[in-house]
Amino acid sequence: MTTPQEPDRDDIETLESGELVRPYVIINGRGFSDGNRFDLVTLVTASADSEQRWGQLDPEMRGVVDLCDGGYLSVAEIAGHLGLPIGIVKVLLVDLAEQGYILTRAPIPPAQLADIKVLQEVLDGLQARFG
Amino acid sequence: MTQYMQDPALWGLIAGTPLAAAVIYRGRKSAARLRKENAELAARHAELESTLSESVEDARIRAEDATKTALKSAMRTLQGLANEQQLAISKVQEKYGDQQILQDLLDIDHMNSQFGRRAQSVAVLCDGWLGRQRAVASLYDVARSAKGRVRHYTRVEIRSQTSFAVAPRAVEPVALVLAELLDNATSYSAPETAIDINIRTVPKGVCVIIDDAGVGMNEEEKSRAARLLSGDHPVGVTELGNPPQFGFAVIGVLAARYGFTVSVDSASPYGGVRAVVLLPQELLTSMPEPETPAVPERTAAAEERPAPTTTAGGLPKRRRRGQMAIVPQSRTESESAAGRTSEETASIMGAFQRGTQSGRKTDPSREGFEVQ
Repeated sequence: MTTPQEPDRDDIETLESGELVRPYVIINGRGFSDGNRFDLVTLVTASADSEQRWGQLDPEMRGVVDLCDGGYLSVAEIAGHLGLPIGIVKVLLVDLAEQGYILTRAPIPPAQLADIKVLQEVLDGLQARFG
Repeated sequence: MTQYMQDPALWGLIAGTPLAAAVIYRGRKSAARLRKENAELAARHAELESTLSESVEDARIRAEDATKTALKSAMRTLQGLANEQQLAISKVQEKYGDQQILQDLLDIDHMNSQFGRRAQSVAVLCDGWLGRQRAVASLYDVARSAKGRVRHYTRVEIRSQTSFAVAPRAVEPVALVLAELLDNATSYSAPETAIDINIRTVPKGVCVIIDDAGVGMNEEEKSRAARLLSGDHPVGVTELGNPPQFGFAVIGVLAARYGFTVSVDSASPYGGVRAVVLLPQELLTSMPEPETPAVPERTAAAEERPAPTTTAGGLPKRRRRGQMAIVPQSRTESESAAGRTSEETASIMGAFQRGTQSGRKTDPSREGFEVQ
């Protein structure tokens, strides 16, 4: 048997490869729970002591905690940054939330974001300018 | 004296002696001739025998080579298809990332990985190549990749993380070797038992230890395994047995080709087999950013940007900046939130938008994130 030392460059086409660690391995075969409380715009932040005890976390979970460390990020943003399918990120988030690494906050309905006081001021200003 | 002369026995003796001498001489001569002939015949026989075995060996090698060439090219096609399919699956996974179909896509992905691994194994036995280019990867990720290539991957538990990384050329072979060992471990142990992977540093390099709680191997199996794993006696495709046993033969070839050692001669603490892969320093390296390999696959892209604060994966990282955007903490704090500069607000909203877009898009461009 011959033992070639280097691939014959002409002989082998450089195949484009997918990611080394596939998504199903990242979530280790855990299923998607139906009562998932995360949706695209759920906001996530790292809990205060998460960085002290993240040694045993998988790299992807660490990535999530690291990303959320600076404040609130939406689920969609996290998925975008990590380059993982949303469903996978949700499974990771459920795990992280159970273990207390992250805190979540439901998205604020748009109507609540508008502060009546500000709107009133705008209205007054417009009236003063054009009224 | 005369009495002797008259004795017929004397005369008989006198006449008989030369006669006997002549007979003995002739006998000896013919015996020598026969011996000579015999030796010539034996030599001729040996010559014929060696010619025969030579031509049989020649024919075997030719047949083996022809089989290998045919299989190698068939496997190359299959490897290419498995890779293509993996990329296609990745795209669909991103596209339907938030739907129930994702679960099925993950199953298909898993089957495809196993299929790709089989094709790679046969290719290796046919002196072919693994056909995948990889970047530097942490040993933990290489082990996880290996885990993903066996059927019962959820039974495999990786107990230790390490800062060691595997050099690009060794990533795929080490992953394939670990996958073959895990395949053996899961196949020869009860379905409810776990397979443990431990990573340990030793003076010569790093050991990856795989323990199963199976039935173990008897002495005969151990010596066969040791012979195959040494890589000294390469096994032909035609000698794999029926049903063919690829595992150890593939591992032996790869270990010899890339210069690491694999042994399975010790018992695991759970009564099964303990497989030890010893990776020498030459195959190891350190991660480009050693602190936290968050998303190792994309470190190469990260190096292109002189980012001031990035995650280990090279992504822009938000540091705590007082009150955080989007969500006012309460009504009373809305005024302090208004103190943000318009630039800050824009960058925060921009990040949110990019995130939601890339989360929804069919084919998100991963390099599209700018440093804020």
